[in-house]
Amino acid sequence: MSLFRYASSIYGGGDTLIGANYGLLPWFAAAGVAIALAHAIFKAVAAPGKPH
Amino acid sequence: MTPQPADRIERHKFIDRAYHWLMAAAMLILLLTAFLPILGIKFEWVGIHWVTGLVLTVIVLVHIIRASFWQNFWAMVPDGEDLRAPFAKPGKYSVAQKLYHLAISVLILAAIATGLLMWRKVDTPFWQRDPYWLSTDAWGVVYAIHGLAAMALVTMVIIHVYFALRPDEWHLTRSMLRGWITGKEYRDHHDPRRWQAKD
Repeated sequence: MSLFRYASSIYGGGDTLIGANYGLLPWFAAAGVAIALAHAIFKAVAAPGKPH
Repeated sequence: MTPQPADRIERHKFIDRAYHWLMAAAMLILLLTAFLPILGIKFEWVGIHWVTGLVLTVIVLVHIIRASFWQNFWAMVPDGEDLRAPFAKPGKYSVAQKLYHLAISVLILAAIATGLLMWRKVDTPFWQRDPYWLSTDAWGVVYAIHGLAAMALVTMVIIHVYFALRPDEWHLTRSMLRGWITGKEYRDHHDPRRWQAKD
């Protein structure tokens, strides 16, 4: 899945960059949740009860 | 039990807390007005989005000026000691907080810079929109940077909220709400040599 969105130019030639691919939004959200989960699991398993 | 005022150490002044929460509200409005229409919830979002973006721009500018001239600008930048001992007791901010601040600063400044350019494509009380102000290719780059920064900010906000809600970070969240940490929290979590807090 591309990071970017393209459109065909009405003047011919190659595709034109028109912006970011917002289809990736769920993946960016999932990355945040995954990092939070990974940290929570690490803290629970590797350093239970440790304040820092 | 609520600590006595004598045991309180100021961590964030009112103006800095106000900045934080104003920025949080602006970010939330900007992300919702950007992404709800994409997710199928249609409403007149453009006006709310650019006005809120302008508010964010102003408060970020105020923050940069305040951090540069009235605060210790370098307190938020990783230093040699952070690199030598990243897991040692930090000064006011941990190395993770400094790196987070650096990352979110880059993303917000990218979103603001591109957002200000995109503003030219919107009718405002100040001007008529001009979609030909930049070339098609240049607009594509501007939109791509704005969109990628916005989606990355979703990731960063989720991480930030997670850490704010963790019980072991609650003293930091409380300090962003009420301004202070206790003397014990100061001694437990900070190196007084690196952060000489005034109580």
